[in-house]
Amino acid sequence: CSRLHTKPSISPTILLSNMYQRPDSITPGVDAQGNPIDPRKIQEHFEDFYEDLFEELNKYGEIESLNICDNLADHMVGNVYVQFREEEQAANALKNLTGRFYAGRPIIVDFSPVTDFREATCR
Amino acid sequence: RSPSKSKRISGFDMAPPTSALLSGATDVAGQVPGTTNPSIPGMFSNMF
Repeated sequence: CSRLHTKPSISPTILLSNMYQRPDSITPGVDAQGNPIDPRKIQEHFEDFYEDLFEELNKYGEIESLNICDNLADHMVGNVYVQFREEEQAANALKNLTGRFYAGRPIIVDFSPVTDFREATCR
Repeated sequence: RSPSKSKRISGFDMAPPTSALLSGATDVAGQVPGTTNPSIPGMFSNMF
């Protein structure tokens, strides 16, 4: 998408860019060695990631909603949206996650303007 | 999921291998030596 998304200076929602990587991110249903992956393994991988993330984020505030983009397109791949109950909690999470690593990759964290995920479709 | 399954290693604070080498660390927390597959970045080594 070519839209210029504004990053608010404060928001109850934070965005963790490209954080989730599917095991079959190169070719759907196939791993990096070209072997087929059981769909249950992919689901399990996703659930482990969700749980890992939830446990960490839960330290910084009350999580209202945790959305992980499990897509294979070139837009918003693996983006994680975390909506906290209060803006201060989101700010606390942002402060504590900035500069850290997740699974060998840096965590890219920003505030996100999204507060209603049903209305958040990028058109 | 079955509750008996042992909890997997958290990916948080898992530094990239290069910086681990630069800092001279021999054991990176959360990484299992010898089982990590460098061709799949970001994937848990104990998954499959």
